[in-house]
Amino acid sequence: MFKKALLGALTATAFALPAAAQDYVVGVTAALTGPPSSTYAPAVDAMRLYIDRVNAAGGVNGRKIKLVIEDDGAQPSKAAANTKKLITQDNVVLMVNASLSSTYAPVIAETKSENVPLLFASGVCPQSVYPPADPLQFCTTGYASHFDSQATLDFIKATAKGPVKIGFSAMAIPLSRGEMDYAMELSKKVGMEPVDQEVIPPPTADYTPFATKLKDAGPNWVYSWAPWVTQVRTLEALRKLGWNDDYIAWGHLEAEAELVRLKDGKFYVVNSNALFEDGLPIQKEIDAAAKQAGSKYPGQTMTEGWIGGMAIEAALKAAGAGADRAKLRSAMENLTIDTKGLRGGPIVWTKDNHFRTQLYYRVYKWDGSKIARVQDWKNYAVK
Amino acid sequence: MQLAVNIVVLASIYALIACGYVLIYRVSRVLNLAHGELMMLGAYMVLATASLFNGHPVIALAAAILLSLLVGVLVYVFLMRKMTGEMVLAAILTTVALGILIRGLVVLIWSAQQQYPAQALGVPNPSLVLFGGARVSMWSAVLVGTTVIVYAALFAFLRFGRWGMRMRAAGQNPLLAAQRGINLHGVYALAWSLSTLTGALAGILMALDSGVTGGMPVIGLKAFPAALVGGLDSLVGALAGSLIIAAAEVLLIYYVDPLLSDVVPFLVLIAMLIVRPWGLFGTREELDRV
Repeated sequence: MFKKALLGALTATAFALPAAAQDYVVGVTAALTGPPSSTYAPAVDAMRLYIDRVNAAGGVNGRKIKLVIEDDGAQPSKAAANTKKLITQDNVVLMVNASLSSTYAPVIAETKSENVPLLFASGVCPQSVYPPADPLQFCTTGYASHFDSQATLDFIKATAKGPVKIGFSAMAIPLSRGEMDYAMELSKKVGMEPVDQEVIPPPTADYTPFATKLKDAGPNWVYSWAPWVTQVRTLEALRKLGWNDDYIAWGHLEAEAELVRLKDGKFYVVNSNALFEDGLPIQKEIDAAAKQAGSKYPGQTMTEGWIGGMAIEAALKAAGAGADRAKLRSAMENLTIDTKGLRGGPIVWTKDNHFRTQLYYRVYKWDGSKIARVQDWKNYAVK
Repeated sequence: MQLAVNIVVLASIYALIACGYVLIYRVSRVLNLAHGELMMLGAYMVLATASLFNGHPVIALAAAILLSLLVGVLVYVFLMRKMTGEMVLAAILTTVALGILIRGLVVLIWSAQQQYPAQALGVPNPSLVLFGGARVSMWSAVLVGTTVIVYAALFAFLRFGRWGMRMRAAGQNPLLAAQRGINLHGVYALAWSLSTLTGALAGILMALDSGVTGGMPVIGLKAFPAALVGGLDSLVGALAGSLIIAAAEVLLIYYVDPLLSDVVPFLVLIAMLIVRPWGLFGTREELDRV
C-alpha cells in the first residue's frame, strides 16, 4: 500500500513539474563544415559559449537554455531537414540560422509552416527583416546589403584626395554580385568612375587572372563586399601584380587578424562591430570565455555569435517564464538588445523593423604599428 | 606577357593535381574522388609540422611531404586494399566517403578558419618581376618549377624505373602481371602514395601562396576535367589538358566574362567527350574492373 502510494506520489510529482522547470530549447542550423564554414563556425561557437555562461548564472527566468546545434554544411536540403527535425522532434521555441543565404528559403518555409520565430545570426540579413518585416523573422548580423556600400562609398568620397576611379570585386554568389551591382550604380551617382567589376567563382585556384583584368582597368580604389576569402585574395593578387592603391572591404570576423598579418597601410575595413583593438570590457570577457572553454577560435572572431547569444537571452527574458513560440515572437517585436559597445548602439526591433532602426559603421586600417580607427561610428537610419 | 604567365601558373596547378588522378587511374582504374581532400590534408599537415619544427621551415616542409607519402600508403592499406576485386563503383564510393571523412577531420582538428602555412613557417612570398614586366609570386614560381620536376621524374620513373615498369604492367594487365610475380598490392600502394604526394605538393604550394581553407577540395575537382580532357591514363594528356583548360580560363576571364571561368573546364570537357571520349592521349577501353 505504502509502495503504491509512494509510486503514485512520485508519478504525480513528475507530471506536475511546472513548465518553468523545463529548458528553453533553441535550435540552430549552421554551416559548421563546407567552404563558407569559416564565417559561421566561430559564430556558433561564440553563441554556445554565451548560452553556457547564461546557464551557469542560473539561466533566464529560472529556466536553462538548451541549444541544439545541427550542421547543414551550407546545403539547403540539409538545412531544411535540420529545421524540420528541430521543430518537430526537439520542439524548439526559436530557430537560429547561421548559414549561407542559399539555406534561407527552405528554413523560412519550415519555420513558417509551424509558426516558429526565426533569428538570422552571423549570416547576411534577408530583405524580409527590413521594414515592413515578416512577423516571424529577425536578424542580428552586422553586415547589411546596400547600407554597407553606402557607408563605404561615403568613406571613400570623404577620404579620396582626387577623382575616384573605382573597381569592384564580388564572389559569384547572388548576394555579393547584387551588392556590387548596386555599389557600381551608386558610385556613378556620387561622382565616381566605375572601371571594372570582377565576379570571382568560389573557390578559385588562382586569383591573379581576375586581378590582372582589374588592375588593367586602372582603378585608384577597389571595393569588395564578398566572403572574406574573395576580398583578401583579390587584394593579395593585386599587390603581387604591383597595384598599390587603396583597397576597401567589409570587415568580416577574420578582419582583425588579417589586418595584422597583411600590415598594409592602404587596406581599409568597414565594420559594424568594434574590433578587439578597442579593448572594451565586453571584448575582454569574450576573450577570457574563449580561452577558458579552450575554443579553437580566438575571441576576436566571436562578436557576431556573442551578439546572437545576447539576442536569444534578451528575447527569452522578455517573453517570460512561460514563453512559447507565440509569446516569444510577440516579445521579439518590441525588443532592445544592449550590445555593450560591440556595436555603435543597441539593436532595436519594432513591429515593422526586425533588422534595427540605426546602423553604425567604423573604418579601420593598419597604421604602421597597430590597427587604427580611421573613422569613428557613423550612423544611418533604417526606415 | 602577364596573361602568358597567368596561363602557365594555372596550368601548373591543374597539372600537378591532375597527375594524381592519372596515377591512380592508370594503375588501378579507380577514380579517386578524395584527391582534392588529400591535397587539402597535405596543406594542413604543413601547419602541424610547422608547429612541431618551429623555426625550421625546410624540415617542416620535408616532414609534411613525407607524411603525405605515408597517408597515401595508409589509405591503400586500410581502405582501398579491401576494395580489390570489388566493383569499380564500390571503390569510387569508398573514395567519396574518405573525402567526407577528411573534410570533417580537418574542421575538427584545424577549425574552419582560413590558415596561412607561410606565416606559420615564417617564410615570405615576394612578388618577382619577370621579363616584359610580368609578375609572379615566389611560391607560384616554385609551383611551376615543382610541376616540371614532378612530371620529369614521373616520366623517367615510369619509363626506366623497375617499379615504374611494374606499375605500367599492372595497369595494362593486372592478372598477367600478378602471374609474372609482380606484387600488385605493393604497386597499388606505391601508386596511392605517389598520387597523394603530388596532390599534397599542389595543396602545400597553393597554401603557401595564398592560404588554405576547407574549400580547397573544390579546386581539386576543377582539375579533374584537365585529366579527362587529356586522357585519364596519360601523363602527357594531363599536361596538355591542363594547358588547354588554363588557357581557355585565363583568356575568357580577360577578354569575355570572368564568370565563364567556372564553366569553361566543363564545356571543354563536354566537347572532348563528344568528339573523343577517351581524351586527347588516353587509351580507348572499357571500364569494368578494379
